[in-house]
Amino acid sequence: MWNTLIQGTLLAAAEKHGEASAHHGPGYWGLAFYVGLAIIILFALMSYAKTGLNSRYFKNPITASFEQLYYFIENLAVGIVGPHGRKYIPMVMVFWMLIFVSNLIALFFPTGPTADLGFNFGLALVAIGYVQYEGMRSNGILGHWAHFAGPKMGLALIPINGMLFIIELISEAMKNLSLSLRLYGNIDGGHRAADAMNELGSDIYIPFGAFLLPIKLLTAVVQALIFSLLFCVYVGLVTSHDHGDEHDHAGDHGHTPEPAPAH
Amino acid sequence: MSMVPLALGLAALGVAIGLGLIGFGAMNGMSRQPEAIGKMQTAMLIALAFVELVFLLTVFVGLAAVK
Repeated sequence: MWNTLIQGTLLAAAEKHGEASAHHGPGYWGLAFYVGLAIIILFALMSYAKTGLNSRYFKNPITASFEQLYYFIENLAVGIVGPHGRKYIPMVMVFWMLIFVSNLIALFFPTGPTADLGFNFGLALVAIGYVQYEGMRSNGILGHWAHFAGPKMGLALIPINGMLFIIELISEAMKNLSLSLRLYGNIDGGHRAADAMNELGSDIYIPFGAFLLPIKLLTAVVQALIFSLLFCVYVGLVTSHDHGDEHDHAGDHGHTPEPAPAH
Repeated sequence: MSMVPLALGLAALGVAIGLGLIGFGAMNGMSRQPEAIGKMQTAMLIALAFVELVFLLTVFVGLAAVK
């Protein structure tokens, strides 16, 4: 196992591009290792943050930063989805933290979970599948599918509705691809750029690629933000457009909808 | 000799102009109305993400053409 792990991670990053490196990425065991690392880091951070919850104000810096993260995500979810977006906070927070920690791992290791297209595609499938589920729950199963066909335009224009339905289905399926390709391209593209710059300075033994680290750190934050932002936008698109639904939601969960916080 | 680097450079040119226009518009709006910075930033990031995706797709298509 260790053999395959090292072959999948370190050697693949060390070997030259273009020659026999058709498989560029962490590989099976490497991906398992990196995802496990990300999950271990996340759980360690969260369990450490829990120890500071009992003080009158948060003295533990990790707890304080988690509080700030919560406010940030709450602002995102409530600001984009609307007042009923409060229940999507856990999902958005999981996406943000998992992608951010994975991107940070990709900063300091040869590859990372988000530098693999399969992992990103899985994340995107979860996100878009959840969006479909929420759409079906708030509009009804038939209502959600009929929503793809566009507005009612009369009997003569039914072929137009059919074409719209097909186009909307394709665009809905392509959301998976765009979410995953964006994340993969940014993280893996950063690695490739760093490799190319390292090669540039290999004659004088200066790793120029290291100067890309600040930009890659910015990319790590922005990509995590964009993934969760687009998830919020997609959820808002399928759940927010009918206001008569609001009462059903309040009845479902047994609490009144909170007012949107002032910005 | 492959033309893929030239094609990637052309794509980068167009996408850079697009990103610059988005940044230009956002900066203008922010300086005119500083209290709307939060909303403008989210809209700007969404637009940036969509423009960026075009270049990433170009890169993937170009790499597929090389292989």
